Amino acid sequence: MANLETSLKECLGSIDGATAVALVDYTSGMALGTLGGGKDFNLEVAAAGNTDVVRSKLRTMEHLGLKDEIEDILITLNTQYHLIRLLKGRGGNGLFLYLVLDSSRANLAMARHLLRRIEADLEV
Amino acid sequence: MTRVTTTWTTRGTTSDALGALAAEGATGALSGERGIVYLSAGRVVHVESAFTPDLGALLTHSGAVPPDGWWDAVDRGGTEHRVGHRLVDSGRLAAGALEVCHLGALFDAAYFVLAHDTRARRFRPGAVHWLGPVRAVPVDVVVRESGRRRDLLDRIWPDPAVDTLPLARVPGAGTAELPGRRGRTLAQVDGVRTAAEIASALACRTYHTLVELRRLAADGLVRAAPPAAPPLPAGPEPRAVVWDDPDTALLRRLRDALEAL
Repeated sequence: MANLETSLKECLGSIDGATAVALVDYTSGMALGTLGGGKDFNLEVAAAGNTDVVRSKLRTMEHLGLKDEIEDILITLNTQYHLIRLLKGRGGNGLFLYLVLDSSRANLAMARHLLRRIEADLEV
Repeated sequence: MTRVTTTWTTRGTTSDALGALAAEGATGALSGERGIVYLSAGRVVHVESAFTPDLGALLTHSGAVPPDGWWDAVDRGGTEHRVGHRLVDSGRLAAGALEVCHLGALFDAAYFVLAHDTRARRFRPGAVHWLGPVRAVPVDVVVRESGRRRDLLDRIWPDPAVDTLPLARVPGAGTAELPGRRGRTLAQVDGVRTAAEIASALACRTYHTLVELRRLAADGLVRAAPPAAPPLPAGPEPRAVVWDDPDTALLRRLRDALEAL
């Protein structure tokens, strides 16, 4: 029965290489909760920007007539992974978890697995 | 202790009043023309507006909490202002899910109360919402987000009437090939319901519904229904959701409690 704060802490604490995490509403681009980041990584800006990524992918799927759903999106930088995981909630609640990983320390498969588990406590 | 507030009444809009109350670290309920903002120690703990379905409607209509479970929590936790805790303690809802849903409802209602520069009516110091503490948000975040949402919606289709008036389909407009959520939203437009009622029926948060409705309006499929003469000369009031009584929330709570008996 984790709350939002603990879920975000769990992301940073239990996922190897995680440096920042945010729960974002992708209809408005607002971050409902953030943890980590710091002055060289503005999570609010990242949340708003990655909202465009999610929306654009969803729109493309609409244009293609794909009835499928996005489970997650992986963006690979030289030194970081950015993992976007859409929450599925029954109400189609339009949220995603955004996780920043240090690629030298991260285990991607494990990160995806743990993120799926953390997500379960946030779904409505 | 709640300090007696004096500065807020001299301010114009609800947002300004809220800013003044936040600076004082006030606790209580600020009534605006379109809803009520509950503050605790200068932070926003809850917002309700007749233009958005409340947390109970969202949770029960989505099937996240059975209606019996919701009313049980209201019965047992209402008088102690701990309904939220009740839901979580009884194992009906994960704490994170409650927070996420509560924040959704809070920002949805705040958009109506704060985004359109409506006036503040009165402040009741010390008033506490029956839901109890879930997650407090700084006032400036709520005010900023409300303004941002207004701008985002206006960018899609600059007609705020869509947010509040009954909505009707535009006759003769084709409705082929709409993406999932927009199609489901359009299916609820019947010339009578407002955006809030559509959101409630879909168990979808109001802002998301407003986005779809404004897109439908931009596509020429939906328009705000003209304020037609009331079809029956039944009541003195035409059916319009008007938040004009500062104590509507209290009356609604009473009604809900009576219905739950």
